[in-house]
Amino acid sequence: MASVVRMPSVLAGASEAAIASWLVAPGDSVAVGQPLAEIETEKALVEYAAEQAGVVGRLVLAAGDTGGIGDPIAVLVADGETDADIDAALGSETPAPAQAPAPTVAAAPAPSGTRSMDHRPPEKAVDGPSTANGQQPTAPERGSRIFASPLVRKIAGERGIDLAAIAGTGPNGRIVRRDLEQFLATQPERVEPEPVQTPAPVQASTPVVAGDRLVPHTPMRRAIARRLTESKATTPHFYMVTECVVDELLELRKRINESSPVKISVNDFVVMAAGAAFRDVPEANVTWTDEGMLEHGSVDISIAVATEGGLVTPVLRGVDGKRLSDVARESQDLARRARERRLRQDELEGGTFSISNLGMYGTLEFSGIINPPQSGLLAVGAARQQPVVTDGAVTVATVMRCTLSIDHRALDGALAARWLAAFTIRLEHPLGTIV
Amino acid sequence: MPRVKRLQPGSEWNELTTTAADWKAADPALLATMLGQLHLIRAFEETVLELAADGLVHGPAHSSIGQEGGAVGSIVSLRSADAVNGSHRGHHQFLAKSLTHVTKGVLDLGSLVTPEVAEVLQRTLAEILGLAQGYCAGRGGSMHLQWFEAGALGTNAIVGGGVPMAAGNAWAQKHSGTSDVTVTYFGDGAANIGSVLESLNLTAAWELPLCFFIENNGYAVSTTVEEATGEPRLSARALGFGIPAWRVDGMDPLAVHLALERALSRLRAGEGPVVIEALVYRFFHQNGPFPGSAFGYRTKEEEAAWRARDPLERVAAEMTKLGLIDEAGVAAVRAQAVEAMKAAAAALTEQDPDAGPHGPRTGGSRPPYPPGPGVRRIRPSLWPDPAFVDVGIRGDLSEIAGARAVEQPDFRGELTRGKFIDAVARVMDRRMSADERIVVLGEDVHKLNGGTNGATKGLAKKFPGRVLGTPISENAFAGLGGGLALDGRFRPVVEFMYPDFLWVAADQVFNQIGKARHMFGGRNPVPLVLRTKVAMGTGYGSQHSMDPAGIFATSVGWRIMAPSTPYDYVGMMNTALAIEDPVLVLEHVDLYGTEGDIPAGDLDYQIPFGRAAVRRAGRDVTVLTYLSMVSHAAEAIEQTGIDAELIDLRFLDRASLDWETIGESVRKTNAVLIVEQGGLGTSYGGWLADEIQRRFFDWLDQPVQRVTGGEAAPSISKVLERAAIAQTSDVVGGLERVRAAFGGGSSGREAPASRTSGEVRR
Repeated sequence: MASVVRMPSVLAGASEAAIASWLVAPGDSVAVGQPLAEIETEKALVEYAAEQAGVVGRLVLAAGDTGGIGDPIAVLVADGETDADIDAALGSETPAPAQAPAPTVAAAPAPSGTRSMDHRPPEKAVDGPSTANGQQPTAPERGSRIFASPLVRKIAGERGIDLAAIAGTGPNGRIVRRDLEQFLATQPERVEPEPVQTPAPVQASTPVVAGDRLVPHTPMRRAIARRLTESKATTPHFYMVTECVVDELLELRKRINESSPVKISVNDFVVMAAGAAFRDVPEANVTWTDEGMLEHGSVDISIAVATEGGLVTPVLRGVDGKRLSDVARESQDLARRARERRLRQDELEGGTFSISNLGMYGTLEFSGIINPPQSGLLAVGAARQQPVVTDGAVTVATVMRCTLSIDHRALDGALAARWLAAFTIRLEHPLGTIV
Repeated sequence: MPRVKRLQPGSEWNELTTTAADWKAADPALLATMLGQLHLIRAFEETVLELAADGLVHGPAHSSIGQEGGAVGSIVSLRSADAVNGSHRGHHQFLAKSLTHVTKGVLDLGSLVTPEVAEVLQRTLAEILGLAQGYCAGRGGSMHLQWFEAGALGTNAIVGGGVPMAAGNAWAQKHSGTSDVTVTYFGDGAANIGSVLESLNLTAAWELPLCFFIENNGYAVSTTVEEATGEPRLSARALGFGIPAWRVDGMDPLAVHLALERALSRLRAGEGPVVIEALVYRFFHQNGPFPGSAFGYRTKEEEAAWRARDPLERVAAEMTKLGLIDEAGVAAVRAQAVEAMKAAAAALTEQDPDAGPHGPRTGGSRPPYPPGPGVRRIRPSLWPDPAFVDVGIRGDLSEIAGARAVEQPDFRGELTRGKFIDAVARVMDRRMSADERIVVLGEDVHKLNGGTNGATKGLAKKFPGRVLGTPISENAFAGLGGGLALDGRFRPVVEFMYPDFLWVAADQVFNQIGKARHMFGGRNPVPLVLRTKVAMGTGYGSQHSMDPAGIFATSVGWRIMAPSTPYDYVGMMNTALAIEDPVLVLEHVDLYGTEGDIPAGDLDYQIPFGRAAVRRAGRDVTVLTYLSMVSHAAEAIEQTGIDAELIDLRFLDRASLDWETIGESVRKTNAVLIVEQGGLGTSYGGWLADEIQRRFFDWLDQPVQRVTGGEAAPSISKVLERAAIAQTSDVVGGLERVRAAFGGGSSGREAPASRTSGEVRR
């Protein structure tokens, strides 16, 4: 009997995934364990292997299509089975409610034809263009209408911003320009509603003019947008900058690389220093949760890796106990596989801290957005020679600026400063860290 | 017992009646022309009443039937360059002047209706019906008939309102070196109104060639002359002003003609004005086709007695007596006139195809009786285009298209430091030297070394006869300026010593000068500059301390310029004097004493028309202000530390305002504060705030905020006056209110309580 192959749940919690490519074609015989397709989730690209043998009767989803977890993606048939059998196999499937995510239904365009996705009574909806989405009942309670200045309404309408998410600080709680600006400042990307909830607001509000091209988002792009938007909007960031004199580090690295089988990068020293700093200031190695402060037993550092598809952050685990050469080797491995999109999902999850290094691009300094639910991120700039005043004398030193982004819910300024000071010392004097 | 010596008026007052000898001595051609004009006018007025009865005359039709003799007798011998204007009942005057113009004063009774005559009749009728081919493009209608080429300056619906304008025309005639004259017609009702009495005085003082022609028909609507005045012999008014006067039977056109001949000899000799009172009678009520007796204010017997003295019959009878015409001849004249009017009406109307047995389905006012078949309507193609409604309110500024306009930062000539008030006098000196048309008039402008503030310093001595100290009669001299402007040979610069006097002269300023161009068809410009100074802060109290910008901004036709620096003043006065529209140039006493840069030699540049000046760039709020409040606003901005963009509007009226600069700023700052000094009620900013919120609603982050003075007019008491007018501290309060509405952390301070909330204090 024909059997239905379903979209696997590659990433816990994900509701959908996409067929990146098919590795089989209709008519191919497949054995158990044979890769059928590459499945792309928000985070990873995985090969999905056949769980039973058969002949590929039909590919339900084409390459590039997205489907909900559990949705049919292909049908395997036995000898002699026909299209009718395939149809029967697919037709007999009644998707369980859980498999058809409610948001898809709820987000269907309002039958009235109004642009608003507002679920409130229409006579109130005219009071403001707010799109108080039914799937996000997190809007602050403000009474039946939202007061916003004409300018704010216009901008919010153009950019698809839900005013319910913004606190008004003008007279009578009016949302004024500065409120919106502050809100937007915490949104690195344009606020884009989740795809399943709002089918096409972006197209509606951003006309594609001649010469422009609208490229559909990959799941990874959407994931980056969603997670960082969420982070910037919900995590109270604060930032502090340190300057590290790295002449000693560079000299040491040079000497090590002269003999080491694995090439050590500056970033490997940074990872080592961060790990050591958490060992020095263990109370900084925490994550804020609603239930309580989560104190971590190890230092697992997410390394930001730029790939063609976007930013990925594989995790280097147990950094505080690792040798420099291990860190270097593992980092290189993770980075390579990230670029090849061959990371396993578990390699992407569970970091306690992130390091993002743009020094190789010559970036002097920058500040990063925390990768939730982590409580910190270190943004590393380029090492450059510059005059440094030491005891009243100007000397030339190689200085690297690092900016620490901190979740204020988890760490206060003094604690973060202590950690940053420890990190600075560790980086400036790396010998103590690596031996 | 005191000695009493009987005094005599300084002028003569005579009654003139004709004798048989006068008729015999009269030129037969004159009599024939009068008879022809009388019949043409009578037939015309009958046609108007018929059309009114058919509901085709929108608004009142003030019939002159019965009064034709006064107009025809007085106008028949006037030149085309002589001018007339008149009142709401003015068809007969307009027709007499236009017919005299196109026929050069001679009608051939055998061939009464020449093509030119037919055209006058049709276009006049078209105007009364509100049609595009009318002399004023249908704008003026029955009460505003103007045809400059014929010397018809425009009839007027304000009783006595046209008389000061006629005085201005007479001034222009006299000072252009002509012997032309102006005749201004008004009724017995107007003999009691201020503008007429002021004009009697002013024209006598200045010996202007103006004939005040009173058509005394005995009734101001239903009020009799005897009820309205203690001296019902209205020509007696003249004696109080030293003006010679004639009283004459207006039902006798020859008597009127002879009286006017005597008047003309004085007028053309430059000896000053004359009053002629013609006793006439309107056979119908104020308007419409019914006799006055139908309304009960006069008797049928009285009407019958006057009808027996019909001027048409009088002239026909006298001519018959002299053998100049017979009954059939008179009938033929009448028939030609009636036929001409049928043709004129037919050209403008047609059978209404929608009219059922009960009359037209739509249009027109309700006829007094149910019309049957044969109901007429206006030919639809003859109506004006509705899009014409606002065309020609003001000029298109093509006259300054090539003008040299230089802003101060771009000025390359030598600048010297000087007081604002000196710039006022110097630019006028320069313009008067360069342009002989410019005439300055106002109270005390010729003395006190340049008027009360020195604004006209040195001008009277340098330009004799062109700086005119006026009697205290704002209506008369403002209107005289308006008449000069309409005539066009001179450029009047009228000064109101205080802005509040606009109320005294309101009819001339707003009903006449402001509306004249548009009302008469939009083609004839009214280039006039009205200067006045805002005097808030000088302790002159409630009746001398207004800022008139708001009143002028909401009154159609006026442009408003409000320079805040001496450099701008020079350029803007040059602009004001160059354009063809009435311009209010606002000054402020607080600015007079301030020092600024004045060009040393070059006083001929203009300020780019309609451009505001950004005095300070900023991001947080757009402050819109003008005149002396520019510096107060600048101070307040410094005090608050708010990054405000300060815009000196300079050109304040609706048509001239710099929306481009305002819009650019509002889109940047998203907040607006309008700052003015004067009282809330007549304030300037109300309409501006309205316009801003509609134009820039989506760019506003908070309501348009305003700073004004208090509700009451400023008082004499120094403390109360300061409390009544907006100060720097009020602007600070306004800015803080703006800041409070920024929201977020920016509203650290509570805005001080102040009237800038717009609330009225009790």
